[in-house]
Amino acid sequence: MKSRTNLFLLISFLLAASLTAWFYYQKGHNVGDLTADPEIDGEFQVCDEDKIPNYYAIGTHYQGGKKAIKAEILNDLENLEFQEQGNISLRFIVNCHGETGRFRSKSTDLEMKKIPVDEARLDKIKNRVRQLNKWNPAKNDHATYDSYYVLNFKLRDGRIVDIF
Amino acid sequence: MKKVFKILKFSLAILLSLYSLLIVYSLFFYSSAERFDIAAHMQGGYLSQSMFEILKFQEPENDEIYFEQSVPFNKRGDHATGFAILNKAVELNPKVHLGYRGYIQLRFLRNYRAALEDFNRLDSLTPQIVDTPWGEDIDFLRGEAYFGLKEYEKARMHFLNSISNQGEEWVDIQAFVYAGLCEERLGNMDQAKEHFQQAIHQSKYTVEAHLGLARIYLKQELFEEANSHLEQAEKYMVYKRDDPYNEYLNEVYLEDIEELKDSLAQ
Repeated sequence: MKSRTNLFLLISFLLAASLTAWFYYQKGHNVGDLTADPEIDGEFQVCDEDKIPNYYAIGTHYQGGKKAIKAEILNDLENLEFQEQGNISLRFIVNCHGETGRFRSKSTDLEMKKIPVDEARLDKIKNRVRQLNKWNPAKNDHATYDSYYVLNFKLRDGRIVDIF
Repeated sequence: MKKVFKILKFSLAILLSLYSLLIVYSLFFYSSAERFDIAAHMQGGYLSQSMFEILKFQEPENDEIYFEQSVPFNKRGDHATGFAILNKAVELNPKVHLGYRGYIQLRFLRNYRAALEDFNRLDSLTPQIVDTPWGEDIDFLRGEAYFGLKEYEKARMHFLNSISNQGEEWVDIQAFVYAGLCEERLGNMDQAKEHFQQAIHQSKYTVEAHLGLARIYLKQELFEEANSHLEQAEKYMVYKRDDPYNEYLNEVYLEDIEELKDSLAQ
């Protein structure tokens, strides 16, 4: 009887602990979170790892908008040749100092299916975006914030034809 | 003493079990409508996604669950995942979700042909209704898609349809602006000015129309008029049309005014 009580306590404890751990993991993670990888991200730092909202929720802005981004970098990228048609979505962080890092990409074809894109070409895109230096990080009266940002590169006829 | 200790252990085990049962009940057996609302409210969180997975398992034919679950993926650039889920919602209830998918194709991906396919299919499914995908007139959105494709005559036709369908007092002012932009690109400057003026007649704060007029007057070397509209564009810049998610195809910036001012100064 004694062992049965202990077993009941042990099982109920393990179950409660597992559910609590699962719950906290679920509460602490979001779709689109980008995990730091020093090998890829170098010395890029965020100001508050626990609070990185999305650009649309907090107003991250590039001077002149995405139109200015396109004007600044499309010339340098439009000669890149691609086998694919579709979209490259580049997600990254604009930290509270207006620096960018943690670049990660996902690519889709016109049917919105995941496609592989040559890494060397993706690196060229990331490196060019990394050079953009007119970011206004999200801010309010109290502080400036890190935030996630997304840029899309539209691929048609083997070239980048639009950035938005 | 041993008995007390045993009772304490048993009570603790009961409490822990009740705690676990409460979590399991909340995830699996609480009202599905309430769980849907909670998951939707926590949009983008892993917990929200897990709750949607449970709801889909329990109600595999409920299109709203698939639709709502897809939203954060498409907002955050994971379109392969977002569309895989959203396509299921469209399959289950095309009349309700085709418009949203077309809107995502148009505004988030600038995939104009695919957007038009969705809008046209929606239109064919609802012959007696002027559809409003994601709250916007379907002809306005079709016009925007053709504008993106640089097919300005078709774009103009849809913007004019939108003005006609909605009525001048109710239509999105940007329909006048886009109609003006189409005429401008087609080289019809008088018609372009007329549409921009219509926009300003509806609201003097329509920055995009002031900028359009300034651009045309500058080309026509009517510098005083150009300057007047540039000043008004600058004054009302705070009212410009923008969107927290995406840049509009006709979005204007202070830099555009500065550029025209520089041209004017020369």
